[in-house]
Amino acid sequence: MNNVDVWRVLDLETNDCATNMAIDEAILFHISEGKVPNTIRTYRWNPSAVSIGYFQSVYEEVNIEACQSKSVDVVRRITGGGAVYHDYEGEITYSVLVRDNDPKIPKDIIKSYQLICQGIIYALADIGIDATFKPINDIIAGTKKISGNAQTRRKPGKDIVMLQHGTILRDLDIKKMFSVLRVSKEKISDKLIEQVEQRVTSIRRELGDKLVDFETLKNSLERGFSKTLSIQLERSTLTESERKLATEFKEKKYGAKDWVFKR
Amino acid sequence: MKNKAEKKVPGGKLIRVTVETDVTMSKIVNVMFTGDFYMHPEEEIHTLENSLKGTKIDENEFKRIITNFFENEIIQILGASPEDFLEILVTALSG
Repeated sequence: MNNVDVWRVLDLETNDCATNMAIDEAILFHISEGKVPNTIRTYRWNPSAVSIGYFQSVYEEVNIEACQSKSVDVVRRITGGGAVYHDYEGEITYSVLVRDNDPKIPKDIIKSYQLICQGIIYALADIGIDATFKPINDIIAGTKKISGNAQTRRKPGKDIVMLQHGTILRDLDIKKMFSVLRVSKEKISDKLIEQVEQRVTSIRRELGDKLVDFETLKNSLERGFSKTLSIQLERSTLTESERKLATEFKEKKYGAKDWVFKR
Repeated sequence: MKNKAEKKVPGGKLIRVTVETDVTMSKIVNVMFTGDFYMHPEEEIHTLENSLKGTKIDENEFKRIITNFFENEIIQILGASPEDFLEILVTALSG
């Protein structure tokens, strides 16, 4: 088994939103510099937070007053895509970081989404949910979205690195989600909630009101990613240098108002 | 003068533009594209926005700048197309 690729896997962590996004970028930088191996991590958000896509306007997408009154944080991602409410109990997030020139990673962006998303589909199958990939970058159970994903490829050092991060809905509180996100101009009506209930689902709902614990989800995701990427995972931690850079990104970028409110 | 337009790209994402012109509506003073589309490297959006600033209000001129920007092969876009960027910019300024 000499030729099986070994990637690093980090333990499930819970952090505030700025730290979570800062860790992704710190790892990305270190992979780009050739200092750490390709990496997979899982994490949760405490306090619960809204993340918005790189190009989104925080004013258009987020109800800032509601976030403040509910102690929900707001962060801007380095990836595009839409606004996501990350509930502490309601979801698990993952990141996959890999050198872009890795032969396993398709150059075609949608195919690369599909490859990584297949890991989540395996994980969901593991806990008893039948799900499929829906291009561009969603995973659906039946016809309803259960996972959203976002990707970027950037080159802060020597090599281009692909980052895909995404979220799997464990439990869903649509009313809370809508109270912190701006949902067009419509009022949050029962009818609208009904419509969203027909478009979005969660692990809990798919399993008939059964909650799956985070440790099980993490293990299933790790197995799923190993399978789709044909890799072996070696449990490790962030290096000292990654921690240091993450702290810097948190203070100067993700935790700073001028980044969060820049659009 | 501040103008806005948005488009939900069929099978794609939402793209919005906010564009400010001088009082005589002769040139762009400021422009910002927002939405849930994907484009990387993400920071390059500023290059596009900056190259549109100061441009006279002329569809051909917008087309030239936008086409030129997306011809750079390092730029990858998903969920919207260069034509969508041009279309909403023209829509916002013709309102």
